[in-house]
Amino acid sequence: MFGSIWQYVYTSFLRYWLKWLIRQATGKCELQRICSEHEPGASRTTRAENSLQASKNKVLREALKSSKDHVEQCVDQIMKEKNIKPQKDPLFKGRLHVCLLQITGYSSLYTSVEDLRKEVFSSENPEHEAMLLKLWDLLMPTVKLESRITKQWGDIGFQGDDPKTDFRGMGLLGLINLVFFSENYTAEARQVLSHANHPKLGYSYAIVGINLTEMAYSLLKSGALKPHFYNTVQGTPELKHFHQLYCYLAYEFDQFWVAEEPESIMQFNQYREKFHDQVKAHLQDPDVSLALSVGSD
Amino acid sequence: MGLLTILKKMKQKEREMRLLMLGLDNAGKTTILKKFNGEDVSTISPTLGFNIKTLEHRGFKLNIWDVGGQKSLRSYWRNYFESTDGLVWVVDSADRLRLDDCRRELGALLLEERLAGATLLVFANKQDLPGALSKEAIREALALDDIKSHHWCVIGCSAVTGENLLAGVDWLLDDIAARIFTAD
Repeated sequence: MFGSIWQYVYTSFLRYWLKWLIRQATGKCELQRICSEHEPGASRTTRAENSLQASKNKVLREALKSSKDHVEQCVDQIMKEKNIKPQKDPLFKGRLHVCLLQITGYSSLYTSVEDLRKEVFSSENPEHEAMLLKLWDLLMPTVKLESRITKQWGDIGFQGDDPKTDFRGMGLLGLINLVFFSENYTAEARQVLSHANHPKLGYSYAIVGINLTEMAYSLLKSGALKPHFYNTVQGTPELKHFHQLYCYLAYEFDQFWVAEEPESIMQFNQYREKFHDQVKAHLQDPDVSLALSVGSD
Repeated sequence: MGLLTILKKMKQKEREMRLLMLGLDNAGKTTILKKFNGEDVSTISPTLGFNIKTLEHRGFKLNIWDVGGQKSLRSYWRNYFESTDGLVWVVDSADRLRLDDCRRELGALLLEERLAGATLLVFANKQDLPGALSKEAIREALALDDIKSHHWCVIGCSAVTGENLLAGVDWLLDDIAARIFTAD
């Protein structure tokens, strides 16, 4: 109760006067202080995002919703509104520009990811089919697929003899992530597959992959991945950065699973949750960077 | 007073039921569970292992077990049979090619001793899909009329729209309640 009253008083009155006082004393507005005092990455960008969000000024709040092409214009507007002279603070413009690219880029990345997730895998689409066959060839270079509908799909961890129903809620996003990992980290992907095919500690490679796509997707959607992307991409994050994050999850989950030695695949959801909690704990660290440390780029 | 009577009395007090949801992969088990629980059903991935949800409905505490249906998991189904009050068998009504498979798996389950007392609800799911078979067709394809060992009922439903899920669960609860809470 007291907390919420204090919160109200602070956000509606105190914060404004406090900022005004500091501004008079230092000659710099809050955004300038954030951009000069904090290192580039999540520590700076998260603060800038919160500051813009809490601003009473519509121009500042609206900047959070702008698109990549309008970010530069937004920076100019903000500098005008806040009366910031480039001569006095020459680095400010470039720094705020990067922050805004990261902030607005995160929302547009979510939109692109959501579009791919909503795209249903279709056997009538030759591109989708080609991608599926490519996945097989990347993972099983020495074995030929006997036909499109075959039990062999089980060897790379699909449920039945036609993978198409397994994509379900994750749509094309699930398939693209699987292909991206196999293509860019081929050795690692095959190593993970060999663990997955272990007679005792094994799991369904592709199905687990699709479950991890769901994990990556929900982390993105909740905003939990912001610090990761703010630290690793100094600009607009793109789809490939999301796929990279999936690669990290796929590789790390396998390491985790092998180390934990679960009794059987039936324990998957408990271990998935445990792994999920670990990832979320990493994401609490402002210096977080969930990058795969092996392989090529 | 025998042990069974005591157990029955304890259960009566808690009004608790254990439901086991099985079926082939991609039948829609997890979607039914989530939809029934009022959760988002647009981002579901294939189930590895199982999900369990406890929810309140009409004053009953329902423990619903949703176990993955892919072939390699079916040998684990038996681990979940114990003290099941209701078996929910979920069928993808549009998957005509695997109806034989579906009938065989159900037939094998009904022979299980530990499921002998359970009420059977068959959900003819995915009625929203254009190619879906009607519940009558499913009844025939699965030879449900031959079942004499269990109370059963078949209900056409759609987990995506939520159509008839409540009707099915309500029938199941009524049948189970009539068996375990009123008999003394």
